Amino acid sequence: MLKSVTAKEHQYVGLHKLSALARTLHSFIGPQKSYKFIRDDRSGESALTCSCFCTIQNLDPTCALDQLVRETLQEHEKIYHTGSGCLMFLAGAWSNAALHGLRQGISITQIISAMSEGIEICLDAIRKSAVFFNGNDVILSRRSTAAAHSSRLSLSKKAFSEASNMSSNLQATPAKVYQQAQNGSGHRQIKLSRYFCETKSEMVSQFETYSVAHIAEALSHRCDNVMELAVEAMQIQSRNNQDISFVPFDITKVMTCVLFGLPEDCSCVVQGCIVLLADEKVSVFHHLKTKHLKVALVNGDLSHNYRHLGFKRPAGMQHVRDQPGVSGSSREEEWVKKVVKLLLDLGVNLILITGVACKVMVQHCCRHQILVVEKLNFSVLRNFAQSTGSVPVTYASQLGHHCVGTGVQLALWRDLSCHDRKLLLPVSISTGGNTELVTAILTSSVQCKLESLEDRFWACAYRLHHALKDRALLPGAGRTEMFCICHLQKQAKYCREKRTDSVPTAAAGTATALHTSVMLELMAEGLMDYITTVMINSGKLSKVKARTIVSGQLQTFDVHKGNAAKFPQLVLRNEATAVSSVKTTECAQTVEVYDNLCVKQEAWRKALDLVFLVLQTDGEVVSGVDQKMETDAMML
Amino acid sequence: MSRVEKKAPSVCTDLPLNNAEVCEKLHLMKELLKSCYGPRGRLKHVRNNIGGRVTTSSASSVILPALYSSQPLLNLIKTSVLNHISRFSDCGLFAGVFCLSLLEQARRHELRESLAIKVNKHCLSLCTSYLQRDDCACRVKIDFSSSQNLMTLAGSIISSKPACLLTEAEKLHISTMAVRAFLQTIPCSSPGPVTLGQTVTVTVRGLPVLDSAMFPGLLVETHDDFNQTDSSSELLRTVLFSTSLAGDLAELGDGTIEADPNLDTDLQILDQLLELGKQLVEDEVRLCVCQKVIHPVLQQYLRSHGVVVMERLGMALMEPLGTLAGTQPVATLHARIPSTAYGRVKNLSTKQFGFKTMLHLQADGEAAVCTAVLCHRNETMLDELKVVWRKTEDVLRLTLKEPSALLGGGCTETHLSAYVKHKLSLLLQGQQEASETAAGLRCSPAEFLLGVKVFCRSLDMVARSLEHDGGSSAMDLNHAHHWTVSANASEEDMAGGLGLCGCGLVENSSTEWTFLNTEYAEFCPAPLLGDSCRKPTVLDSFTAKVNALQVAVETANLALDVRYVIKDVN
Repeated sequence: MLKSVTAKEHQYVGLHKLSALARTLHSFIGPQKSYKFIRDDRSGESALTCSCFCTIQNLDPTCALDQLVRETLQEHEKIYHTGSGCLMFLAGAWSNAALHGLRQGISITQIISAMSEGIEICLDAIRKSAVFFNGNDVILSRRSTAAAHSSRLSLSKKAFSEASNMSSNLQATPAKVYQQAQNGSGHRQIKLSRYFCETKSEMVSQFETYSVAHIAEALSHRCDNVMELAVEAMQIQSRNNQDISFVPFDITKVMTCVLFGLPEDCSCVVQGCIVLLADEKVSVFHHLKTKHLKVALVNGDLSHNYRHLGFKRPAGMQHVRDQPGVSGSSREEEWVKKVVKLLLDLGVNLILITGVACKVMVQHCCRHQILVVEKLNFSVLRNFAQSTGSVPVTYASQLGHHCVGTGVQLALWRDLSCHDRKLLLPVSISTGGNTELVTAILTSSVQCKLESLEDRFWACAYRLHHALKDRALLPGAGRTEMFCICHLQKQAKYCREKRTDSVPTAAAGTATALHTSVMLELMAEGLMDYITTVMINSGKLSKVKARTIVSGQLQTFDVHKGNAAKFPQLVLRNEATAVSSVKTTECAQTVEVYDNLCVKQEAWRKALDLVFLVLQTDGEVVSGVDQKMETDAMML
Repeated sequence: MSRVEKKAPSVCTDLPLNNAEVCEKLHLMKELLKSCYGPRGRLKHVRNNIGGRVTTSSASSVILPALYSSQPLLNLIKTSVLNHISRFSDCGLFAGVFCLSLLEQARRHELRESLAIKVNKHCLSLCTSYLQRDDCACRVKIDFSSSQNLMTLAGSIISSKPACLLTEAEKLHISTMAVRAFLQTIPCSSPGPVTLGQTVTVTVRGLPVLDSAMFPGLLVETHDDFNQTDSSSELLRTVLFSTSLAGDLAELGDGTIEADPNLDTDLQILDQLLELGKQLVEDEVRLCVCQKVIHPVLQQYLRSHGVVVMERLGMALMEPLGTLAGTQPVATLHARIPSTAYGRVKNLSTKQFGFKTMLHLQADGEAAVCTAVLCHRNETMLDELKVVWRKTEDVLRLTLKEPSALLGGGCTETHLSAYVKHKLSLLLQGQQEASETAAGLRCSPAEFLLGVKVFCRSLDMVARSLEHDGGSSAMDLNHAHHWTVSANASEEDMAGGLGLCGCGLVENSSTEWTFLNTEYAEFCPAPLLGDSCRKPTVLDSFTAKVNALQVAVETANLALDVRYVIKDVN
């Protein structure tokens, strides 16, 4: 008997691997993250990572599963830039659930149908618990029974105002003025201000507002300082935008610039595009800094042998000379001279390019006081094209009068030369007041932290971006998960009861109902694991204690009446309040934590998709294997 | 003088099918294909050993090309199945499993090769002639005046690959789309020879399946960041290039050119390109499409004259776009473009799908080109969906050739097996005829019966391959349809009824049934009475399955006929 079980278990090696891989990444879940070192034994190099995605990126994929995980995470990260940790955790937790199910003799087909039902329940519960807001005179409606509100409102009103007081005390940012009101129908109405209600703007404070700053605070997940930068970036963007309609945070117009050598609190957000200049370019900058400049944009490299994408160099080209070569200057120099002459004729002082420029070109340009800025994103170029009226070209020879834009100014962002002579000079390129381009300058005195700082900034910026795009938030700190657990358990109970009630004739049906109920319970268990892991990661709580708190909460909760926001926040800044776990005013003093709606939905679904693919796979077909290398593989 | 190397003698394997190693490999391949078979089949990760992209699939068209074997027999089977797939798309796994079962069963029952070949041929002709007959009980006529059977056929193929991970609603959506696409490609009322239209598929990752949709005309993804195309409903004069306009010497091939070093060839070609651009502008072309890359300078020139430019169209879209615009692509830039080379396109607009921006082109007249946009949440599932979609398309087209379908869910296999068994035992009962047949095959009636048993067992084996969760397969002794019994079903559960059969046509009609791996007395499978209002829920392609049957038997016969394998090891 035992033997057959192990043999069977061996079949699901993919699920075991997935769950093991997810377990190593547990420490990245929740706001309190710990860093990990990844060391390459061969080269002796190591990398410091602080996120799930980063870790997986740094690992070499050794098997098909690793590849699948990598692809899934890459795809998720490409779109959402956040939520990979949640995805990986649930993939692990739910593969455990599937393994438990298999151990209990539930067939794969049944597991899949039951878990598909489970995810539908979860996604439905997520939708129900979402807090929606709307344009600039927003209705913040909770989609649940009106009855549930009356008890909640008085409490939350207090909570909101207290939170606002506290946060404005804590941070030196402009005060956030928000209240919430109640209209006749019993729905809460909260207005979202686009004016980032500063204290002096009296006209705004008369509205009930739910400021972006508040949303940002709720989404910061303890990265308050970087989130502040993101909010600032958005403020600067919208300051230029005179359009009153609700505009989400345009992330494509945000860039980052990392500076090593300054303490972390020097990080800030600046309008325009900040680039680092070195060596001879510095003197060109000093020459140009007070002038209005003409700009040319090149999408590609600035060198004589650069050709556009898709150009094939002829292989069979032979050069034949009828007399011994006495070439005065090389082709490259000829080309450079031609381009520089063209640039001078057009009066261009500044060239922005997406690729790199060849050395000779840079030297020549510097000699003629033309500044070349390399390696910019195409989105930055497009932005300059819009604000200066210039047209991006692929080859410098394409440049004409209609391609050149005007009105660009250079300015020194901050003089760092006192720190170190060799340091790069941060220079801002702006187009007067109308640019929407914003640069976040991230500084740190520890160089290896810069990368994770940048990661965090993007995560925060994207969280804010998604929230404003979705116009919805999800109660965080374990509240949505608990709500889903309740719904899963309710359905599981229903399935069990249906089984005992049913007449014996439909025997197959009762077995299915039983299996469904088991699988739903197991899925709920996975979510429970998630909450407790976050609590444990936050410190001070043991696993047992965390579980006790969560199950205590679940027992007192009534699925029919409540919604996710009725749960107390479990993962809190102050663990004392978590332990007390009763919704008191003391508890409400902390900031309410929220998550992104679409990110969570997608991460959960992708996690389950991954589990399903692995669960249904029973083998691997590898082509081109050397017979001697593989020992455990069967050869065809 | 070249060095003479000693050559190793060739390795010759006598009777490869009796070789234990070969048999083991054949068995492994059979198990591999079997485990993928059917809507609950298991998936396989397919990759190469240097860490290439992983595809997860259970489709024979994905798995078989990745199988390489040192045994020529396995490669023979693989190749013939792949050939079948390339022509009929469907039933690849069926052919593989059936062929390998025939080989395995023949060996297990120690049947002489020559006899096995003859009996197989005999049984095959019996099957094919029965399937062509009007009173064939496992064939369903497809009526084009109703979409029901077409929908069932499409739905069965779409649900046959579990890696798509589709819900019921999604399956319905995709099969409706497939049938609609099929019907749209049939021209309504054109005199003369009828040419079918085309469906182009575009995939979009990250969107829900229910966002998949059909569009008349073509949707082409634009990579271009500069393109600012306004939608216009007027007719656009269109030119289509199949040659590269990148400014390189694409037509040079492997030849060489000798040039003066002072000559700038790039500039000369560019001049020629601009000359071409000038002609296009003069001829009032409004849309310029190129299969390959267009030189940025030419693009800039054309755009500045109000021409919409599309480059990097790709090979696959050239033909549909040619049909849509009613033109032939221009293959050279060294000659003046004749005015006949211009086509027309209507209703230019842009559409956004997730992160893809697409240009929507429509035909001026009634060109039956349409585009299916397939969406799924991740790449693995989307790839499989695309495989299934192509298969469905092909199978639906095959119904035009032969408007029939076969019952799915293993019912055709069990039915055929019962029929063959019954027919041949009838033959043996009429002793005289039997001895004639047996004499024709040069064997005793007992040997003959054994051969028939091998054939029927192999057919049953295919039906049994549909079950993967440890359950067993059963057949009723009335209509000979196929049932699956789950592993944890008790005796009384079974007495209570097994529900519907595999194809969904018969419900528990007979209390007498047998497990498929056991012996049973032959019987005549009764045709279903016409008054049943029940419709089959699972259908297979008739043309594909009949051909797969033939391919499997003939490949098995060929393999049985192999006496020696001679291998050059140098």
